[in-house]
Amino acid sequence: MARHDEGVITVGRSRAGTVAANTAGIIFGLFMLFPVYWVLNTAFKPEAEVKSFSPTFLPQSPTLDNFRSALGEELFIPAMINGLIITAMAVAAALVVGFLAALAIARFQFYGRKAIILIVLAVQLVPFLALLIPLFLMLQRAQLTDSLPGVALVYLVLLLPYTVWTLRGFISGIPRELDEAAMIDGCTRAQVFWKIILPLTGPGLVATSVYGFIQAWNEFIIINTLNSPENQNLMAWLLYNQTERGTAWGPLMAGAIITSIPVVIFFLLIQRNIATGLTAGAVKG
Amino acid sequence: MRHGRTPFIIGFLAVPVALYATFVVAAYIQTFQLAFTNWSGLGTIKYVGFDNFERLWNDDLFWRSVGHNLYLLILLPIITIAIALVFAFLLNAGGGSHGGKTRGIFGSKFYRVIFFFPQLMALAIVAVIFGRVFSTDESGMLNGLFPESWSPWLFLADERWALTCILAVMVWQAVGFYVVLFSAGMGSIEQEVYEAAALDGANRITLFFKITIPLLWNTLQVAWVYLGIAAFDAFALVNIMSVDRGGPDGATSVLAMMIYRNAFEYSQAGYASALGVALFFLTLTFAALTLRVTRREAH
Repeated sequence: MARHDEGVITVGRSRAGTVAANTAGIIFGLFMLFPVYWVLNTAFKPEAEVKSFSPTFLPQSPTLDNFRSALGEELFIPAMINGLIITAMAVAAALVVGFLAALAIARFQFYGRKAIILIVLAVQLVPFLALLIPLFLMLQRAQLTDSLPGVALVYLVLLLPYTVWTLRGFISGIPRELDEAAMIDGCTRAQVFWKIILPLTGPGLVATSVYGFIQAWNEFIIINTLNSPENQNLMAWLLYNQTERGTAWGPLMAGAIITSIPVVIFFLLIQRNIATGLTAGAVKG
Repeated sequence: MRHGRTPFIIGFLAVPVALYATFVVAAYIQTFQLAFTNWSGLGTIKYVGFDNFERLWNDDLFWRSVGHNLYLLILLPIITIAIALVFAFLLNAGGGSHGGKTRGIFGSKFYRVIFFFPQLMALAIVAVIFGRVFSTDESGMLNGLFPESWSPWLFLADERWALTCILAVMVWQAVGFYVVLFSAGMGSIEQEVYEAAALDGANRITLFFKITIPLLWNTLQVAWVYLGIAAFDAFALVNIMSVDRGGPDGATSVLAMMIYRNAFEYSQAGYASALGVALFFLTLTFAALTLRVTRREAH
Protein backbone atom coordinates (compact mmCIF):
# COMPACT_ATOMS: atom_id res chain seq x y z
CA MET A 1 0.00 0.00 0.00
CA ALA A 2 1.35 3.39 -0.92
CA ARG A 3 1.57 5.94 1.79
CA HIS A 4 -0.95 8.74 1.69
CA ASP A 5 -0.60 12.24 3.00
CA GLU A 6 -3.21 13.45 5.40
CA GLY A 7 -6.39 14.36 3.61
CA VAL A 8 -5.50 12.73 0.35
CA ILE A 9 -7.97 9.97 0.95
CA THR A 10 -11.13 11.31 2.48
CA VAL A 11 -12.85 7.91 2.64
CA GLY A 12 -16.11 9.63 1.92
CA ARG A 13 -16.15 11.36 5.26
CA SER A 14 -17.06 14.91 6.05
CA ARG A 15 -16.06 16.93 9.09
CA ALA A 16 -19.75 17.29 9.96
CA GLY A 17 -20.10 13.52 9.97
CA THR A 18 -17.19 13.22 12.36
CA VAL A 19 -18.71 15.78 14.71
CA ALA A 20 -22.05 13.98 14.61
CA ALA A 21 -20.34 10.66 15.33
CA ASN A 22 -18.52 12.09 18.34
CA THR A 23 -21.69 13.70 19.68
CA ALA A 24 -23.58 10.44 19.37
CA GLY A 25 -20.76 8.71 21.21
CA ILE A 26 -20.86 11.16 24.09
CA ILE A 27 -24.65 10.95 24.46
CA PHE A 28 -24.59 7.17 24.36
CA GLY A 29 -21.72 7.11 26.86
CA LEU A 30 -23.66 9.31 29.29
CA PHE A 31 -26.68 7.09 28.87
CA MET A 32 -24.62 4.01 29.78
CA LEU A 33 -22.91 5.73 32.69
CA PHE A 34 -25.87 7.47 34.26
CA PRO A 35 -27.11 4.62 36.48
CA VAL A 36 -23.56 3.96 37.65
CA TYR A 37 -23.20 7.62 38.52
CA TRP A 38 -26.52 7.51 40.34
CA VAL A 39 -25.41 4.57 42.48
CA LEU A 40 -22.20 6.38 43.47
CA ASN A 41 -24.06 9.62 44.10
CA THR A 42 -26.64 7.97 46.35
CA ALA A 43 -24.10 5.91 48.26
CA PHE A 44 -22.15 8.97 49.40
CA LYS A 45 -25.17 11.06 50.37
CA PRO A 46 -26.43 11.29 53.94
CA GLU A 47 -29.93 9.97 54.44
CA ALA A 48 -31.64 13.36 54.48
CA GLU A 49 -30.20 14.20 51.05
CA VAL A 50 -31.22 10.85 49.56
CA LYS A 51 -34.80 11.41 50.64
CA SER A 52 -34.85 15.05 49.55
CA PHE A 53 -37.28 15.88 46.76
CA SER A 54 -34.85 18.27 45.13
CA PRO A 55 -32.02 15.89 44.27
CA THR A 56 -28.53 17.33 43.82
CA PHE A 57 -25.97 16.28 41.25
CA LEU A 58 -23.30 15.72 43.88
CA PRO A 59 -23.57 14.94 47.58
CA GLN A 60 -23.63 18.26 49.48
CA SER A 61 -21.99 16.75 52.52
CA PRO A 62 -20.42 13.45 51.39
CA THR A 63 -20.36 10.74 54.00
CA LEU A 64 -19.21 7.15 54.48
CA ASP A 65 -22.09 6.41 56.84
CA ASN A 66 -23.88 4.30 54.26
CA PHE A 67 -20.84 2.07 53.82
CA ARG A 68 -20.43 1.70 57.56
CA SER A 69 -24.09 0.86 57.92
CA ALA A 70 -23.95 -1.73 55.11
CA LEU A 71 -20.81 -3.36 56.51
CA GLY A 72 -22.38 -3.38 59.94
CA GLU A 73 -25.41 -5.36 58.78
CA GLU A 74 -25.65 -8.69 60.52
CA LEU A 75 -25.31 -10.93 57.47
CA PHE A 76 -23.23 -8.72 55.16
CA ILE A 77 -19.75 -9.99 56.00
CA PRO A 78 -20.84 -13.67 56.18
CA ALA A 79 -22.57 -13.27 52.81
CA MET A 80 -19.38 -11.80 51.35
CA ILE A 81 -17.31 -14.69 52.66
CA ASN A 82 -19.86 -17.24 51.42
CA GLY A 83 -19.77 -15.64 47.99
CA LEU A 84 -15.98 -15.76 47.87
CA ILE A 85 -15.83 -19.40 48.95
CA ILE A 86 -18.49 -20.55 46.49
CA THR A 87 -16.98 -18.54 43.64
CA ALA A 88 -13.46 -19.78 44.33
CA MET A 89 -14.60 -23.41 44.48
CA ALA A 90 -16.69 -23.17 41.32
CA VAL A 91 -14.08 -21.29 39.28
CA ALA A 92 -11.16 -23.48 40.36
CA ALA A 93 -13.11 -26.65 39.60
CA ALA A 94 -14.32 -25.27 36.26
CA LEU A 95 -10.74 -24.42 35.25
CA VAL A 96 -9.36 -27.88 36.05
CA VAL A 97 -12.26 -29.88 34.65
CA GLY A 98 -12.75 -27.51 31.73
CA PHE A 99 -9.09 -27.48 30.72
CA LEU A 100 -8.86 -31.27 30.67
CA ALA A 101 -12.11 -31.60 28.74
CA ALA A 102 -10.99 -28.94 26.26
CA LEU A 103 -7.70 -30.81 25.80
CA ALA A 104 -9.52 -34.03 25.00
CA ILE A 105 -11.84 -32.32 22.53
CA ALA A 106 -9.16 -30.21 20.86
CA ARG A 107 -6.35 -32.75 20.64
CA PHE A 108 -8.02 -36.13 20.10
CA GLN A 109 -10.38 -37.53 17.52
CA PHE A 110 -12.65 -40.10 19.09
CA TYR A 111 -16.08 -41.66 18.84
CA GLY A 112 -18.72 -39.40 20.37
CA ARG A 113 -16.64 -36.24 20.16
CA LYS A 114 -19.25 -34.42 18.08
CA ALA A 115 -22.00 -35.50 20.48
CA ILE A 116 -20.08 -34.07 23.43
CA ILE A 117 -19.56 -30.76 21.66
CA LEU A 118 -23.24 -30.61 20.80
CA ILE A 119 -24.32 -31.32 24.38
CA VAL A 120 -21.92 -28.70 25.73
CA LEU A 121 -23.47 -26.13 23.41
CA ALA A 122 -27.06 -27.23 23.98
CA VAL A 123 -26.68 -26.84 27.73
CA GLN A 124 -25.87 -23.19 27.25
CA LEU A 125 -29.15 -22.71 25.44
CA VAL A 126 -31.56 -24.10 27.97
CA PRO A 127 -32.81 -21.76 30.69
CA PHE A 128 -31.57 -23.25 33.90
CA LEU A 129 -34.78 -22.48 35.70
CA ALA A 130 -36.48 -25.44 34.07
CA LEU A 131 -34.04 -27.68 35.95
CA LEU A 132 -34.34 -26.07 39.35
CA ILE A 133 -36.84 -28.57 40.79
CA PRO A 134 -34.89 -31.74 39.94
CA LEU A 135 -31.64 -30.07 41.01
CA PHE A 136 -33.15 -29.19 44.33
CA LEU A 137 -34.32 -32.79 44.79
CA MET A 138 -30.93 -34.25 43.85
CA LEU A 139 -29.00 -32.00 46.17
CA GLN A 140 -31.48 -32.68 48.92
CA ARG A 141 -30.93 -36.41 48.54
CA ALA A 142 -27.16 -35.85 48.72
CA GLN A 143 -27.73 -33.57 51.73
CA LEU A 144 -26.12 -30.69 49.88
CA THR A 145 -28.95 -28.17 50.07
CA ASP A 146 -28.27 -25.23 52.34
CA SER A 147 -24.53 -25.78 51.93
CA LEU A 148 -21.82 -23.92 50.06
CA PRO A 149 -20.42 -26.95 48.13
CA GLY A 150 -23.90 -27.74 46.81
CA VAL A 151 -24.25 -24.28 45.26
CA ALA A 152 -20.66 -24.42 43.99
CA LEU A 153 -21.43 -27.71 42.26
CA VAL A 154 -24.41 -26.20 40.42
CA TYR A 155 -22.33 -23.17 39.43
CA LEU A 156 -19.63 -25.50 38.13
CA VAL A 157 -22.16 -27.09 35.79
CA LEU A 158 -23.23 -23.62 34.66
CA LEU A 159 -19.67 -22.41 34.03
CA LEU A 160 -18.36 -25.51 32.26
CA PRO A 161 -19.83 -25.05 28.76
CA TYR A 162 -18.30 -21.61 28.35
CA THR A 163 -15.01 -22.70 29.91
CA VAL A 164 -14.66 -25.80 27.73
CA TRP A 165 -15.66 -23.95 24.60
CA THR A 166 -13.32 -21.01 25.11
CA LEU A 167 -10.32 -23.12 26.16
CA ARG A 168 -10.93 -25.42 23.22
CA GLY A 169 -10.56 -22.36 20.97
CA PHE A 170 -7.28 -21.42 22.64
CA ILE A 171 -5.86 -24.95 22.50
CA SER A 172 -6.82 -25.39 18.84
CA GLY A 173 -4.80 -22.25 18.17
CA ILE A 174 -1.60 -23.92 19.40
CA PRO A 175 0.06 -25.68 16.46
CA ARG A 176 0.14 -29.46 16.74
CA GLU A 177 3.69 -29.43 15.36
CA LEU A 178 4.75 -28.12 18.74
CA ASP A 179 3.37 -31.24 20.46
CA GLU A 180 5.03 -33.48 17.92
CA ALA A 181 8.39 -31.76 18.16
CA ALA A 182 8.34 -32.10 21.95
CA MET A 183 7.43 -35.77 21.74
CA ILE A 184 10.27 -36.40 19.31
CA ASP A 185 12.54 -34.75 21.86
CA GLY A 186 11.40 -37.34 24.39
CA CYS A 187 8.47 -35.70 26.16
CA THR A 188 5.62 -37.97 27.18
CA ARG A 189 2.11 -36.93 26.21
CA ALA A 190 1.39 -35.86 29.77
CA GLN A 191 4.50 -33.68 29.76
CA VAL A 192 3.39 -32.08 26.50
CA PHE A 193 0.07 -31.14 28.07
CA TRP A 194 1.63 -29.92 31.29
CA LYS A 195 4.73 -28.15 30.01
CA ILE A 196 3.66 -26.85 26.60
CA ILE A 197 -0.09 -26.56 26.21
CA LEU A 198 -0.94 -25.41 29.73
CA PRO A 199 1.43 -22.40 29.74
CA LEU A 200 0.39 -21.40 26.21
CA THR A 201 -3.28 -21.49 27.25
CA GLY A 202 -2.55 -18.95 30.01
CA PRO A 203 -4.53 -16.03 28.52
CA GLY A 204 -7.48 -18.32 27.94
CA LEU A 205 -7.38 -19.49 31.54
CA VAL A 206 -7.36 -15.88 32.72
CA ALA A 207 -10.27 -14.92 30.48
CA THR A 208 -12.40 -17.88 31.48
CA SER A 209 -11.69 -17.50 35.16
CA VAL A 210 -12.69 -13.84 35.08
CA TYR A 211 -15.86 -14.72 33.21
CA GLY A 212 -16.54 -17.50 35.68
CA PHE A 213 -15.90 -15.21 38.61
CA ILE A 214 -18.37 -12.63 37.31
CA GLN A 215 -21.05 -15.24 36.65
CA ALA A 216 -20.71 -17.03 39.96
CA TRP A 217 -20.34 -13.85 42.01
CA ASN A 218 -23.40 -12.24 40.44
CA GLU A 219 -25.71 -15.26 40.61
CA PHE A 220 -28.56 -15.12 43.09
CA ILE A 221 -31.54 -17.16 41.90
CA ILE A 222 -30.05 -20.59 42.48
CA ILE A 223 -28.44 -19.76 45.80
CA ASN A 224 -31.62 -18.09 46.94
CA THR A 225 -33.64 -21.21 46.13
CA LEU A 226 -31.21 -23.73 47.60
CA ASN A 227 -29.96 -22.04 50.75
CA SER A 228 -31.28 -20.52 53.96
CA PRO A 229 -30.60 -16.84 54.79
CA GLU A 230 -27.36 -17.71 56.66
CA ASN A 231 -25.83 -19.25 53.54
CA GLN A 232 -26.54 -16.59 50.93
CA ASN A 233 -24.08 -14.57 48.88
CA LEU A 234 -23.97 -10.78 48.61
CA MET A 235 -26.38 -10.56 45.66
CA ALA A 236 -29.07 -12.47 47.49
CA TRP A 237 -28.35 -10.38 50.59
CA LEU A 238 -28.81 -7.22 48.55
CA LEU A 239 -32.18 -8.28 47.23
CA TYR A 240 -33.37 -9.49 50.57
CA ASN A 241 -32.45 -6.15 52.06
CA GLN A 242 -34.26 -4.31 49.32
CA THR A 243 -37.52 -6.13 49.90
CA GLU A 244 -37.18 -5.88 53.67
CA ARG A 245 -36.21 -2.26 54.00
CA GLY A 246 -37.66 -0.75 50.86
CA THR A 247 -36.33 2.76 50.86
CA ALA A 248 -32.98 2.66 52.67
CA TRP A 249 -31.33 3.50 49.36
CA GLY A 250 -28.10 4.86 50.79
CA PRO A 251 -26.89 1.69 52.55
CA LEU A 252 -28.32 -0.43 49.73
CA MET A 253 -26.31 1.41 47.08
CA ALA A 254 -23.22 1.34 49.29
CA GLY A 255 -23.74 -2.41 49.54
CA ALA A 256 -24.09 -2.60 45.77
CA ILE A 257 -20.77 -0.78 45.34
CA ILE A 258 -18.93 -3.06 47.75
CA THR A 259 -20.49 -6.03 45.97
CA SER A 260 -19.30 -4.81 42.58
CA ILE A 261 -15.73 -3.96 43.60
CA PRO A 262 -14.17 -7.41 43.01
CA VAL A 263 -15.77 -7.71 39.59
CA VAL A 264 -14.66 -4.25 38.52
CA ILE A 265 -11.09 -4.86 39.68
CA PHE A 266 -10.92 -8.12 37.74
CA PHE A 267 -12.37 -6.46 34.71
CA LEU A 268 -9.96 -3.53 34.75
CA LEU A 269 -7.03 -5.94 35.07
CA ILE A 270 -7.88 -7.77 31.90
CA GLN A 271 -10.02 -5.30 29.97
CA ARG A 272 -7.45 -4.92 27.20
CA ASN A 273 -7.86 -8.56 26.29
CA ILE A 274 -11.45 -9.10 27.21
CA ALA A 275 -12.86 -9.09 23.70
CA THR A 276 -10.25 -11.55 22.46
CA GLY A 277 -10.85 -13.80 25.42
CA LEU A 278 -14.60 -13.70 25.14
CA THR A 279 -14.68 -14.44 21.45
CA ALA A 280 -11.80 -16.87 21.08
CA GLY A 281 -14.01 -19.92 21.50
CA ALA A 282 -16.88 -18.62 19.47
CA VAL A 283 -15.00 -17.32 16.46
CA LYS A 284 -12.57 -20.13 16.03
CA GLY A 285 -15.58 -22.49 16.04
CA MET B 1 0.98 -40.74 17.94
CA ARG B 2 -1.96 -43.05 18.47
CA HIS B 3 -0.90 -45.23 21.32
CA GLY B 4 -1.90 -44.31 24.82
CA ARG B 5 -4.74 -42.02 23.80
CA THR B 6 -7.61 -43.83 25.43
CA PRO B 7 -6.61 -43.32 29.07
CA PHE B 8 -6.28 -39.60 28.42
CA ILE B 9 -9.63 -39.29 26.69
CA ILE B 10 -11.45 -41.23 29.39
CA GLY B 11 -9.61 -39.51 32.22
CA PHE B 12 -10.16 -36.02 30.85
CA LEU B 13 -13.82 -36.46 30.02
CA ALA B 14 -15.06 -38.66 32.85
CA VAL B 15 -15.82 -35.83 35.28
CA PRO B 16 -17.60 -33.43 32.91
CA VAL B 17 -19.60 -36.24 31.33
CA ALA B 18 -20.64 -37.51 34.75
CA LEU B 19 -21.62 -33.97 35.80
CA TYR B 20 -23.76 -33.52 32.71
CA ALA B 21 -25.31 -36.94 32.94
CA THR B 22 -26.43 -36.12 36.48
CA PHE B 23 -27.19 -32.44 36.56
CA VAL B 24 -28.49 -31.88 33.08
CA VAL B 25 -29.59 -35.09 31.37
CA ALA B 26 -30.97 -36.85 34.44
CA ALA B 27 -32.46 -33.59 35.68
CA TYR B 28 -34.27 -33.11 32.39
CA ILE B 29 -35.57 -36.65 32.42
CA GLN B 30 -36.95 -35.97 35.86
CA THR B 31 -38.59 -32.75 34.70
CA PHE B 32 -40.30 -34.66 31.89
CA GLN B 33 -41.37 -37.32 34.34
CA LEU B 34 -42.75 -34.84 36.88
CA ALA B 35 -44.67 -33.07 34.13
CA PHE B 36 -47.01 -36.07 34.06
CA THR B 37 -47.76 -35.95 37.80
CA ASN B 38 -49.78 -33.74 40.07
CA TRP B 39 -46.97 -33.57 42.60
CA SER B 40 -47.10 -30.56 44.89
CA GLY B 41 -43.42 -30.63 45.82
CA LEU B 42 -43.96 -32.68 48.96
CA GLY B 43 -45.57 -36.02 49.72
CA THR B 44 -46.78 -38.66 47.31
CA ILE B 45 -46.46 -38.50 43.56
CA LYS B 46 -49.44 -39.49 41.42
CA TYR B 47 -49.36 -39.81 37.64
CA VAL B 48 -52.12 -37.88 35.92
CA GLY B 49 -51.34 -38.42 32.25
CA PHE B 50 -51.58 -35.32 30.11
CA ASP B 51 -53.63 -33.31 32.62
CA ASN B 52 -50.91 -30.72 33.14
CA PHE B 53 -50.52 -30.16 29.43
CA GLU B 54 -54.26 -29.85 28.98
CA ARG B 55 -54.33 -27.30 31.75
CA LEU B 56 -51.42 -25.49 30.18
CA TRP B 57 -53.16 -25.43 26.81
CA ASN B 58 -56.18 -23.74 28.38
CA ASP B 59 -54.16 -21.43 30.63
CA ASP B 60 -54.50 -17.88 29.46
CA LEU B 61 -51.45 -16.77 31.43
CA PHE B 62 -49.33 -19.45 29.74
CA TRP B 63 -50.12 -18.13 26.27
CA ARG B 64 -49.56 -14.56 27.35
CA SER B 65 -46.21 -15.56 28.88
CA VAL B 66 -45.20 -17.31 25.65
CA GLY B 67 -46.23 -14.16 23.79
CA HIS B 68 -44.08 -12.03 26.10
CA ASN B 69 -41.11 -14.37 25.61
CA LEU B 70 -41.53 -14.12 21.83
CA TYR B 71 -41.84 -10.34 22.04
CA LEU B 72 -38.50 -10.24 23.87
CA LEU B 73 -37.03 -12.88 21.56
CA ILE B 74 -37.71 -10.76 18.48
CA LEU B 75 -37.07 -7.26 19.79
CA LEU B 76 -34.12 -7.79 22.17
CA PRO B 77 -31.69 -9.12 19.53
CA ILE B 78 -32.81 -6.71 16.80
CA ILE B 79 -32.59 -3.57 18.91
CA THR B 80 -29.42 -4.57 20.76
CA ILE B 81 -27.53 -5.68 17.66
CA ALA B 82 -28.60 -2.59 15.70
CA ILE B 83 -27.45 -0.17 18.40
CA ALA B 84 -24.27 -2.13 19.11
CA LEU B 85 -23.31 -2.27 15.42
CA VAL B 86 -23.73 1.46 14.98
CA PHE B 87 -21.63 2.28 18.02
CA ALA B 88 -19.01 -0.33 17.32
CA PHE B 89 -18.70 1.23 13.86
CA LEU B 90 -18.35 4.69 15.42
CA LEU B 91 -15.67 3.42 17.78
CA ASN B 92 -13.70 1.93 14.92
CA ALA B 93 -14.30 4.23 12.02
CA GLY B 94 -16.38 7.18 13.18
CA GLY B 95 -13.49 9.59 13.55
CA GLY B 96 -12.85 10.16 9.89
CA SER B 97 -9.63 9.30 8.14
CA HIS B 98 -6.15 10.58 8.77
CA GLY B 99 -3.26 9.77 6.55
CA GLY B 100 -5.35 7.15 4.83
CA LYS B 101 -6.23 5.36 8.03
CA THR B 102 -9.73 5.31 9.39
CA ARG B 103 -9.93 6.07 13.06
CA GLY B 104 -12.46 5.70 15.83
CA ILE B 105 -14.13 8.68 17.43
CA PHE B 106 -12.27 10.62 20.10
CA GLY B 107 -11.97 8.62 23.32
CA SER B 108 -12.74 5.23 21.75
CA LYS B 109 -10.71 3.34 24.32
CA PHE B 110 -12.48 5.04 27.19
CA TYR B 111 -15.89 4.22 25.71
CA ARG B 112 -14.92 0.60 25.32
CA VAL B 113 -14.42 0.43 29.08
CA ILE B 114 -17.55 2.29 30.13
CA PHE B 115 -19.78 0.43 27.70
CA PHE B 116 -18.75 -2.73 29.48
CA PHE B 117 -19.79 -1.52 32.91
CA PRO B 118 -23.47 -2.51 32.71
CA GLN B 119 -22.30 -6.03 31.90
CA LEU B 120 -20.32 -6.14 35.11
CA MET B 121 -23.18 -4.99 37.29
CA ALA B 122 -25.17 -7.87 38.65
CA LEU B 123 -28.73 -8.11 37.41
CA ALA B 124 -29.80 -7.76 41.01
CA ILE B 125 -28.21 -4.30 41.18
CA VAL B 126 -29.37 -3.28 37.72
CA ALA B 127 -32.93 -4.21 38.61
CA VAL B 128 -32.83 -2.20 41.83
CA ILE B 129 -31.43 0.87 40.05
CA PHE B 130 -33.99 0.78 37.27
CA GLY B 131 -36.72 0.31 39.80
CA ARG B 132 -35.71 3.82 40.90
CA VAL B 133 -35.46 5.10 37.33
CA PHE B 134 -39.02 4.00 36.61
CA SER B 135 -40.48 4.93 39.99
CA THR B 136 -44.02 6.24 39.56
CA ASP B 137 -43.78 9.30 41.80
CA GLU B 138 -41.57 12.34 41.40
CA SER B 139 -38.74 10.65 43.31
CA GLY B 140 -38.30 8.50 40.17
CA MET B 141 -35.45 9.60 37.95
CA LEU B 142 -37.57 9.90 34.82
CA ASN B 143 -40.67 11.32 36.45
CA GLY B 144 -38.46 13.74 38.37
CA LEU B 145 -37.28 15.17 35.05
CA PHE B 146 -40.79 15.99 33.85
CA PRO B 147 -42.54 19.26 34.81
CA GLU B 148 -44.66 18.94 37.92
CA SER B 149 -47.84 19.76 36.06
CA TRP B 150 -47.62 16.47 34.14
CA SER B 151 -49.31 13.50 35.63
CA PRO B 152 -46.51 11.04 36.43
CA TRP B 153 -45.93 8.19 34.01
CA LEU B 154 -46.68 4.80 35.46
CA PHE B 155 -44.00 2.83 33.57
CA LEU B 156 -43.87 -0.59 35.25
CA ALA B 157 -47.30 -0.11 36.78
CA ASP B 158 -48.86 0.48 33.37
CA GLU B 159 -49.98 -2.74 31.70
CA ARG B 160 -49.26 -1.39 28.24
CA TRP B 161 -45.68 -0.30 28.94
CA ALA B 162 -44.43 -2.57 31.70
CA LEU B 163 -42.88 -5.15 29.37
CA THR B 164 -41.32 -2.45 27.21
CA CYS B 165 -39.64 -1.01 30.33
CA ILE B 166 -38.17 -4.46 31.06
CA LEU B 167 -37.03 -4.75 27.44
CA ALA B 168 -35.35 -1.34 27.70
CA VAL B 169 -33.37 -2.47 30.73
CA MET B 170 -32.35 -5.70 29.00
CA VAL B 171 -31.10 -3.71 26.00
CA TRP B 172 -29.27 -1.27 28.27
CA GLN B 173 -27.53 -4.10 30.05
CA ALA B 174 -26.63 -6.11 26.98
CA VAL B 175 -25.66 -3.48 24.45
CA GLY B 176 -22.23 -2.56 25.81
CA PHE B 177 -20.98 -6.12 25.64
CA TYR B 178 -21.96 -6.38 21.99
CA VAL B 179 -20.37 -3.02 21.19
CA VAL B 180 -17.10 -4.44 22.52
CA LEU B 181 -17.63 -7.77 20.77
CA PHE B 182 -18.44 -6.21 17.40
CA SER B 183 -15.71 -3.63 17.58
CA ALA B 184 -13.21 -6.43 18.21
CA GLY B 185 -14.56 -8.13 15.10
CA MET B 186 -14.40 -4.91 13.10
CA GLY B 187 -10.87 -4.29 14.28
CA SER B 188 -9.78 -7.51 12.63
CA ILE B 189 -11.11 -6.45 9.22
CA GLU B 190 -8.17 -5.31 7.10
CA GLN B 191 -7.85 -1.57 6.61
CA GLU B 192 -7.02 -2.17 2.96
CA VAL B 193 -10.52 -3.49 2.31
CA TYR B 194 -12.04 -0.24 3.51
CA GLU B 195 -9.50 1.85 1.66
CA ALA B 196 -10.08 0.03 -1.59
CA ALA B 197 -13.82 0.48 -1.27
CA ALA B 198 -13.38 4.14 -0.34
CA LEU B 199 -11.23 4.72 -3.43
CA ASP B 200 -14.08 3.30 -5.46
CA GLY B 201 -16.27 6.01 -3.99
CA ALA B 202 -18.08 4.14 -1.20
CA ASN B 203 -19.43 6.34 1.57
CA ARG B 204 -19.81 5.49 5.28
CA ILE B 205 -23.16 3.82 4.85
CA THR B 206 -22.07 1.69 1.91
CA LEU B 207 -18.93 0.65 3.79
CA PHE B 208 -21.06 -0.37 6.73
CA PHE B 209 -23.57 -2.49 4.82
CA LYS B 210 -21.37 -3.90 2.07
CA ILE B 211 -18.19 -4.62 4.00
CA THR B 212 -18.61 -4.53 7.76
CA ILE B 213 -21.82 -6.54 8.08
CA PRO B 214 -20.90 -9.41 5.72
CA LEU B 215 -17.46 -9.78 7.28
CA LEU B 216 -18.95 -9.81 10.79
CA TRP B 217 -21.58 -12.41 9.97
CA ASN B 218 -20.19 -15.12 12.27
CA THR B 219 -20.03 -12.78 15.24
CA LEU B 220 -23.56 -11.55 14.54
CA GLN B 221 -24.77 -15.12 14.57
CA VAL B 222 -23.20 -15.72 17.98
CA ALA B 223 -24.72 -12.49 19.29
CA TRP B 224 -28.16 -13.51 18.04
CA VAL B 225 -28.00 -16.83 19.85
CA TYR B 226 -26.79 -15.33 23.13
CA LEU B 227 -29.46 -12.62 23.07
CA GLY B 228 -32.07 -15.21 22.26
CA ILE B 229 -31.05 -17.15 25.35
CA ALA B 230 -31.32 -13.99 27.43
CA ALA B 231 -34.79 -13.35 26.03
CA PHE B 232 -35.94 -16.83 27.02
CA ASP B 233 -34.76 -16.27 30.54
CA ALA B 234 -35.59 -12.69 31.57
CA PHE B 235 -36.51 -14.13 34.94
CA ALA B 236 -34.22 -12.07 37.13
CA LEU B 237 -35.40 -8.68 35.91
CA VAL B 238 -39.08 -9.59 35.85
CA ASN B 239 -38.75 -11.09 39.31
CA ILE B 240 -37.23 -8.00 40.87
CA MET B 241 -38.57 -5.10 38.82
CA SER B 242 -42.12 -5.90 37.83
CA VAL B 243 -45.13 -4.99 39.89
CA ASP B 244 -46.46 -8.04 41.69
CA ARG B 245 -43.75 -10.21 40.02
CA GLY B 246 -45.05 -10.72 36.51
CA GLY B 247 -47.72 -8.06 36.78
CA PRO B 248 -49.53 -5.76 36.63
CA ASP B 249 -52.16 -8.38 35.88
CA GLY B 250 -49.74 -10.72 34.09
CA ALA B 251 -48.48 -8.01 31.75
CA THR B 252 -44.81 -8.95 32.26
CA SER B 253 -45.20 -12.65 33.03
CA VAL B 254 -42.67 -14.84 31.21
CA LEU B 255 -42.39 -18.64 31.20
CA ALA B 256 -39.48 -18.74 33.63
CA MET B 257 -41.44 -16.58 36.08
CA MET B 258 -44.41 -18.95 35.85
CA ILE B 259 -42.18 -21.96 36.43
CA TYR B 260 -40.60 -20.41 39.50
CA ARG B 261 -43.86 -19.34 41.08
CA ASN B 262 -45.59 -22.66 40.45
CA ALA B 263 -42.65 -24.66 41.73
CA PHE B 264 -41.66 -22.71 44.81
CA GLU B 265 -44.69 -20.61 45.76
CA TYR B 266 -47.90 -22.30 44.61
CA SER B 267 -46.69 -25.86 45.43
CA GLN B 268 -47.46 -27.01 41.89
CA ALA B 269 -44.24 -28.83 41.03
CA GLY B 270 -46.03 -31.02 38.48
CA TYR B 271 -47.46 -28.08 36.58
CA ALA B 272 -44.17 -26.19 36.85
CA SER B 273 -42.43 -29.19 35.24
CA ALA B 274 -44.92 -29.18 32.37
CA LEU B 275 -44.10 -25.51 31.85
CA GLY B 276 -40.41 -26.48 31.94
CA VAL B 277 -41.02 -29.01 29.16
CA ALA B 278 -42.76 -26.32 27.10
CA LEU B 279 -39.82 -23.97 27.64
CA PHE B 280 -37.41 -26.74 26.64
CA PHE B 281 -39.12 -27.27 23.29
CA LEU B 282 -39.45 -23.55 22.63
CA THR B 283 -35.72 -23.07 23.22
CA LEU B 284 -34.81 -25.99 20.97
CA THR B 285 -37.08 -24.69 18.21
CA PHE B 286 -35.39 -21.32 18.45
CA ALA B 287 -31.92 -22.89 18.29
CA ALA B 288 -32.82 -25.07 15.31
CA LEU B 289 -34.41 -22.16 13.45
CA THR B 290 -31.42 -19.90 14.11
CA LEU B 291 -29.01 -22.51 12.82
CA ARG B 292 -31.08 -23.08 9.69
CA VAL B 293 -31.67 -19.46 8.84
CA THR B 294 -28.14 -18.24 9.46
CA ARG B 295 -26.60 -21.18 7.67
CA ARG B 296 -28.71 -20.61 4.59
CA GLU B 297 -27.84 -16.95 4.44
CA ALA B 298 -24.18 -17.62 4.92
CA HIS B 299 -23.97 -19.44 1.59
